[in-house]
Amino acid sequence: MREKDATVTVIIDNQSYRVPRGYTILQAAERFDIYIPTLCSHKDLSPFGGCRLCIVEVEGMRNFPTACTTPVEEGMIIRTHTAQVQSVRKEILQLFLSEHTSSCLICDEREECKRYLGTIRKAGVTTGCRYCPKDGQCELQEVVEKLGIQEIEYPIYYRNLRVEKEDPFYDRDYNLCILCGRCVRMCQEVRLANVLAFKQRGRNTIVGPAYARTHLESGCEFCGACVSVCPTGTLYEKARKWEGVAQLEQVTTCSFCGVGCQISLQIKADRVIGGLPAEDPLVNNGQLCVKGRFCIPELVNGPWRLRHPFKKFNGLEVDISWEDAITLAAEQLSRCAPDEFGLLISSNCTTEDLYIAQKFARVAMGSNQVDSPARLFYGPALNAYLALLEKSVPLAEVREAPAILCVGLDTRYGRSVVGVELRRAMHRGARVITIHPREHNLALTAHAWIQPPPGGEGEILQFFARFTAGEESASPPETNLSSETLRQLARELKQASGVVILVGSEVLHYSASPQILAVLHRLAENLGAGVLPLPAQNNFVGSLLMGTYPELLPGGFSSANEKRLKELEKVWQTEFRPLTNGWNSGNLSAGKPLKVLYLIGEALPSGEPPAEFLIFQNIYPPDSPIRPDLTLPAAAFTEADGTFVNGEGRVQRVHRAVNPPGEALPDWEILCRIARKMGVRGFDFSDVREIHREIAALVDGFQDFDQPPRQARSLTIEGKFQIAASGSFEAKPDGKKYPYLLNAAPLEHVYRGFPLSSRVEGARVIFADEVLHMNPRDARRARLQEGDPVEVTSQYFRKVWPVKFSPELNRGIVQVTVLQNELIGLNPIPVIIRKSHV
Amino acid sequence: MKSHEYDKIFSKFTGVEGDLIPLLIQIQERDGYISPEAIRRVARFLKISENQIYGVATFYPKFRFEEPGKKTIKVCMGTACHVRGGKFLAEAVGWHFGISIGQKTPDNRLDFQRATCLGCCTLGPVVQIDEKIHPRMMVTQLMQMLREHE
Ligand code: SF4
Ligand code: SF4
Ligand code: SF4
Ligand code: SF4
Ligand code: FES
Ligand code: FES
Repeated sequence: MREKDATVTVIIDNQSYRVPRGYTILQAAERFDIYIPTLCSHKDLSPFGGCRLCIVEVEGMRNFPTACTTPVEEGMIIRTHTAQVQSVRKEILQLFLSEHTSSCLICDEREECKRYLGTIRKAGVTTGCRYCPKDGQCELQEVVEKLGIQEIEYPIYYRNLRVEKEDPFYDRDYNLCILCGRCVRMCQEVRLANVLAFKQRGRNTIVGPAYARTHLESGCEFCGACVSVCPTGTLYEKARKWEGVAQLEQVTTCSFCGVGCQISLQIKADRVIGGLPAEDPLVNNGQLCVKGRFCIPELVNGPWRLRHPFKKFNGLEVDISWEDAITLAAEQLSRCAPDEFGLLISSNCTTEDLYIAQKFARVAMGSNQVDSPARLFYGPALNAYLALLEKSVPLAEVREAPAILCVGLDTRYGRSVVGVELRRAMHRGARVITIHPREHNLALTAHAWIQPPPGGEGEILQFFARFTAGEESASPPETNLSSETLRQLARELKQASGVVILVGSEVLHYSASPQILAVLHRLAENLGAGVLPLPAQNNFVGSLLMGTYPELLPGGFSSANEKRLKELEKVWQTEFRPLTNGWNSGNLSAGKPLKVLYLIGEALPSGEPPAEFLIFQNIYPPDSPIRPDLTLPAAAFTEADGTFVNGEGRVQRVHRAVNPPGEALPDWEILCRIARKMGVRGFDFSDVREIHREIAALVDGFQDFDQPPRQARSLTIEGKFQIAASGSFEAKPDGKKYPYLLNAAPLEHVYRGFPLSSRVEGARVIFADEVLHMNPRDARRARLQEGDPVEVTSQYFRKVWPVKFSPELNRGIVQVTVLQNELIGLNPIPVIIRKSHV
Repeated sequence: MKSHEYDKIFSKFTGVEGDLIPLLIQIQERDGYISPEAIRRVARFLKISENQIYGVATFYPKFRFEEPGKKTIKVCMGTACHVRGGKFLAEAVGWHFGISIGQKTPDNRLDFQRATCLGCCTLGPVVQIDEKIHPRMMVTQLMQMLREHE
């Protein structure tokens, strides 16, 4: 098309403008800063034409067309503010207002009240009569003000609907709803979640899920996208009510999973009051999951945040100064031999913290006894998982792939950003196959949902692997789908080029997971498919690259690699030969008893204190009854600078958006101060940038701290993890005696050792941890009521959990997520279930 | 409806979104209403959410979402019947059973609906019980009849 044809000339309010063809009148006006009032249109949503506030006069057109739906045409003459248009707009707005609470809009005392709170006599000072949480940031208010409406001439009709407060994270007051449909379009068009719909008709029209169901019951992901676009106070974030408008924004990287979404933190008075998706096409593309969208403020602003260092003294906990705390730590550490010291650091910490932690262990302590307990999350499957990480492709490949295979992935709450990509892929016609034992949120819309018993994923993958390797006569395992369908699916996978395989967390915790992942690896090779392991920990890849493991050195080298050790000695200007002896976070008592255990962002291990002296560095005091000897307050990810490396291998920035509470400090800074106190060289960093520079000298991809290139890169890891033999229980329990199959998994929504459900009200509702999920029909047969304590007995253990009805589970299967990653033995494991009478 | 009966209905369709309304019509013809179970099955068949289906379905007044009562009484509220006292008949039914138009008795026996002209205006006011039209109805007469039906 010629240059000229790409634009058209229009006249808006007597001025001529050139605008791109295909623009709507509204877009054209916005481009030149001409105000047209709107309520239902939104830049991320399709035009709707519902509120009719944006009507304009167009010469030669009858009636007033809506600017948001009418495309510009060559020579159009548009008037946006004629007296007639304005008066129709006012009529329309008054009609809206006749159904809407309006004390915040047309009170006589409005102006005065804003300034002096003059009319507040019998109302609370915090809220006044301006009770709506949206007050001051409401688009309806804004339009009313711009159109200068002072009274409402229509009879008032108040719907008197019940305010819906039963769901977590946000409340809904449909008395304020103007039916602009933004939330519906957001949920249907952008998120493709289809929770919200218009229901009923005419005067009874209301937005919501089917029947009078709660959002929790209707498959809502609590992504909050609908809340973000609501122009009124109808949908409002519970935790953010009355916080008002943010003063500042800071884009940073989410720290709740390995997707690594870009979040715009909302800041007011040096506090994070919310998190919104950042417009960033690289990773999350304007989407977030419930964790990033709703869980940050409550987590980082909790009243029990650690503010000062303290130590245990005569059974009491006494505040001490940083100086004393550092001295105490240095003294204790100085008396440790290398194998009497252990350091555990969370892979939620920044790359720079991780780097300093392992350097501290290796240089200051001469020890290899540094570990990230993330290894326990992957358990025996860790090496197999590493192999998958080495084949990882960027998330963007999901956008092109003709066929996508998901294994053990449920994107309802965690990683819903990936779920959106998957549903988009389905919409453009990609085949999506999901293998999952439980009904999950991909089950409805995927082209095929293969439902094995827990642990049976391997057999399906095995069949696919054999089939795609040319063994077309291989017989498929028995599942919910017929053999013919499974063959057909295998054929489709084989024929497609550019298949992507997504690996969720729910396939990682079986006893057979190492084998399952190995088969998956083979299948990927047969298909030439890219793999997307979706690590649960935001900086798991960073921890591998920094080498916070006894087996790994920075750069992913094996700690037995002499050449690498020499290089490190040169950069670190020190001599060291740390010993390796099988010690790790799953086996703290291997080797000599520990004198000092230093925990950074990690929960205390259960049971007896595993060391003479415990240093606990975190954002909250420990949940366990054990009191650490020294407690050091650390900064959360919203309070420190650094980088995270996401599951795709992108190095992304984290920003100090607010100051840490009290005297809390970033982890690296505390470590460096202790090292200096101990008289160790190589810890004179004055900011993160310098640490990053040192990392850059040792590991690829870390050149630019301020503007990391954020390139996706798959890992190359030389070191292999030592894994204790799994399946320590060999006997195969008999199915008659143990009629249920228990599937137990560690929970993954953890930040620095604290489950989000222990700190965030809404998270407690959506993540039911330490609760036994059971099919309601099974439960009724066992005469159980929801919440009853049940005793779960296997050959090896006996445990009591409250029961929760989960229709998604098949009969005969029970499921639990556990806080402490204790050994349950074989997983899945046959069990007996009985009502407990304790 | 039993599982295989759903399958029978579904077998007549290809499973695209456009099938939704015709499918719901057939289900309502069969069951008299659209049950939550029906919505669940249609959702799986068409691979769209139950919420979406419910939203679309409630837009059409012809769909019902509650199991109808065993007997249906329709009081005509068309213009002709209205002027001849249809409203009193409706009120009488309402009083007698303690329900209003669009509801059914708690024991599920009687379904109370309104009609807008049953096409026999000259016989008004008209009441329809199940398929049978009762012309020139009076309150006392209607009450008598209802008692008989109980
Ligand atoms: S939604 Fe807006 S206009 Fe309505 S009460 Fe709240 S602040 Fe006022
Ligand atoms: S939170 Fe997300 S999934 Fe839930 S209704 Fe809103 S947009 Fe839909
Ligand atoms: S809830 Fe908000 S976004 Fe949704 S229709 Fe009502 S006013 Fe619009
Ligand atoms: S998907 Fe992961 S990175 Fe993105 S918002 Fe959720 S928890 Fe954060
Ligand atoms: S903004 Fe155009 S009709 Fe609502
Ligand atoms: S108005 Fe009642 S039958 Fe026509």
